[in-house]
Amino acid sequence: MILANGALYPDEALPEQLAALEGHCLAALQGPALPPETVIAACDALAGQIAAGAYDSAVRSFLEAFQIGEGAFRAALGLFRRESLTYQCTLAWGPDWRELPPLRHPGFQPIRRRRMPLGVLFHIAAGNVDGLPAYSVVEGLLAGNVNILKLPSADRGLSVLLLHALVTIEPALAPFVYVFDVPSTDLASLEIFAALADGVAVWGGDEAVQAAYRLADCRIFPWGHKLSFAYAEPDAAEGDLLALARHIRETGQVLCSSCQGVFVDTEDPAVLEAFGRRLFDALLAADGPRPDRGLAARAALQLYNDQLEAVETGRVILRQNGVSVTICPDRELELGRMFGNCWVKALPREEILPALKPKKRLLQTCGLLCAPEEREALGDLLARAGVVRVTEPGEMSRTIPGEAHDGIYPLAAYMRIVETV
Amino acid sequence: MDRRTKLFRHRDPYDIPGTNEQFLAAMAQNCRYQYDHCPDYRRILTERGFSPDRLRGTRDLGALPPIPTLYFKRHELFSMPPGKLPVKATSSGTSGSRSRIGFDLMSLRRGADMVWRMGRYHDLFSPQPCHYLILGYEPHKSNQMAFTKTGYGFTFFAPALSRTYALQYRDGQYVLCLEDLQKRLLSAAKGGAPVRTIGFPAYTYMLLAELKKQGVRLKLPKGSKLTMGGGWKQFYAQKVEKEALYALAEEVLGIGEGECVEFFGAVEHPILYTSCPRHHFHIPIYSRAIIRDPETLRPLPMGELGLLDLLTPMVMSQPLLSVMTDDLAILHPAKSCGCGIPSPWLEIVGRVGVRDIVTCAAGAEQFLQGEGRT
Repeated sequence: MILANGALYPDEALPEQLAALEGHCLAALQGPALPPETVIAACDALAGQIAAGAYDSAVRSFLEAFQIGEGAFRAALGLFRRESLTYQCTLAWGPDWRELPPLRHPGFQPIRRRRMPLGVLFHIAAGNVDGLPAYSVVEGLLAGNVNILKLPSADRGLSVLLLHALVTIEPALAPFVYVFDVPSTDLASLEIFAALADGVAVWGGDEAVQAAYRLADCRIFPWGHKLSFAYAEPDAAEGDLLALARHIRETGQVLCSSCQGVFVDTEDPAVLEAFGRRLFDALLAADGPRPDRGLAARAALQLYNDQLEAVETGRVILRQNGVSVTICPDRELELGRMFGNCWVKALPREEILPALKPKKRLLQTCGLLCAPEEREALGDLLARAGVVRVTEPGEMSRTIPGEAHDGIYPLAAYMRIVETV
Repeated sequence: MDRRTKLFRHRDPYDIPGTNEQFLAAMAQNCRYQYDHCPDYRRILTERGFSPDRLRGTRDLGALPPIPTLYFKRHELFSMPPGKLPVKATSSGTSGSRSRIGFDLMSLRRGADMVWRMGRYHDLFSPQPCHYLILGYEPHKSNQMAFTKTGYGFTFFAPALSRTYALQYRDGQYVLCLEDLQKRLLSAAKGGAPVRTIGFPAYTYMLLAELKKQGVRLKLPKGSKLTMGGGWKQFYAQKVEKEALYALAEEVLGIGEGECVEFFGAVEHPILYTSCPRHHFHIPIYSRAIIRDPETLRPLPMGELGLLDLLTPMVMSQPLLSVMTDDLAILHPAKSCGCGIPSPWLEIVGRVGVRDIVTCAAGAEQFLQGEGRT
């Protein structure tokens, strides 16, 4: 399905729609600007309709398919409400975001400053979080851009449905939204989108991000995949360990904010092992959705292989009831074995920066398990190493309006400051 | 006589009850050999509290620690000096890393015995010369992939009048030459000699679909066969596609469903599995399949879905006695097939992990799809 200028077309209409795209984009850029208030009002109305059940048939099956709970769904919906969006605009653009005060400098006329959209924003969405493609476009709209969205191959139709509903509620948005369901292999189409773009927001793994750099000669916003972890004092409180274990089980370690493993502030292997055993007990006590058989089998096979290799790697694996803790002698930040299978590694605090710096591209959230008086110093160290969120152990994957994305406010990134006399 | 020789020369390749004892004796003998000659293997068995003397009854086979194919991709386990092995092969490595396997002369002889018995049983041998269309790589010394070798090997079931390759070696690289295949097919249809195609099922399907699109309708000479083989992943439950493929073969080439034969095997488990007339893979006497619980890895009863562990005493050069694949499979009782072959058959359901996993953790997709180390 293609969405262009407010109307839906079948995929067969691709050649005509591609041919018309540049004209549409230029017309939208020349036409009246899109005030954020218009976008906010439309999103708020749509979120209201969804909450009232207007799109239940599509939304429910999607929630089921991705095992998204009611709470997480409500939280996600909350991001589209008026208060949340207004709050995000204020955070990204400052309290005087509606009008920037002029710049004054001795000997110069006052310089008028305006925040303007980049122009055309091309979103390369990832299949890993459905509904996210639509959210990416909403961010682009708030910043006033014309948005071209390439759907991920695994999209189940929800993005087009939501965006079509949005431009139907507010027709003024129609010239600013174009959605295409072309595969990543359709280079000819992607090149057309990239040539029109003033910015590219690319979601997904390294491959997608590298493709965007090859394709486009403009600003690239790589919302790539990340790795998160926890950092713990050896005597971390039992409650913190349980909260972390619950987080690990509940997220299945599949999110970029999911804890993959724990670095422990020690150099002593015995202390590390003792911590590993405590974490293992906490994981056994925590509950979470069981992965399907194929995923459970992948983890079990991998762990069995890890056990066979243990003599070379020096790893010790504690394993029972589908959960495990691997006690490792190295200090490399790496993916866990997922679905309740994580690692622990010794990393004294003075080694945090040198150990994490090489992973700068991947760092995101760190759950902190330490005494209150240590929080500030440890949090600061982790932030200096490149971590962008330091959280309570149970809140690593929280979704709260106003949070920066990988250390950046996209709403600010998708605009530019224009100075005029 | 070597225990394996007796097993591999047994007349009926599906007579499991009649060869159980031989199979077990060959496994025990080979296990002892590997234990004595491959230090890594001995360590693995010892760590898991297993000694070769424990292989006394069929049940003990499940206690023999399996080695995952993943392990072979990262470690070279040899019980003979690898430099002296006459044949080496690598897995096709679609997932990035490859296993390097080498076979000793005796093991190759067992393999030849097996191919002979299986070929006889499934009526694959023919004295009538035929044209071979190989939907795979032309052999070249730079290419050690097992499929290239077996593909070439299959061209000896009947004398070859010609061998035409889909992927031909030109100026240092492989290029796809579908036109050559088509030309050969068109000329063969006019002659009297049968045609045999050999290739991955997916390639075979592509070729047939392409021919159909171009309006090709042939009646290939009697004795023509469509033979398909490849790695395990080629055989995930794709019933619809398979049926469409048989229909296409009939429509485009005039080859009936009964003349469509499938093979599979793996570099780490070089047993030739040949499909029965109902397109099921029965376990031959040279191997056993154990289905293991996806979490605990304990053996499961017949009919349950789990990880596929394949056993064979065929190879001496490496400890390939019990190899755990990353495939999920079900072992079905012989009777549920109905073709008359008296041994259980395997249904390969898919690979562990899933394609459309919802994740944004770096490297997680590759990990869950089994694409190497993260």
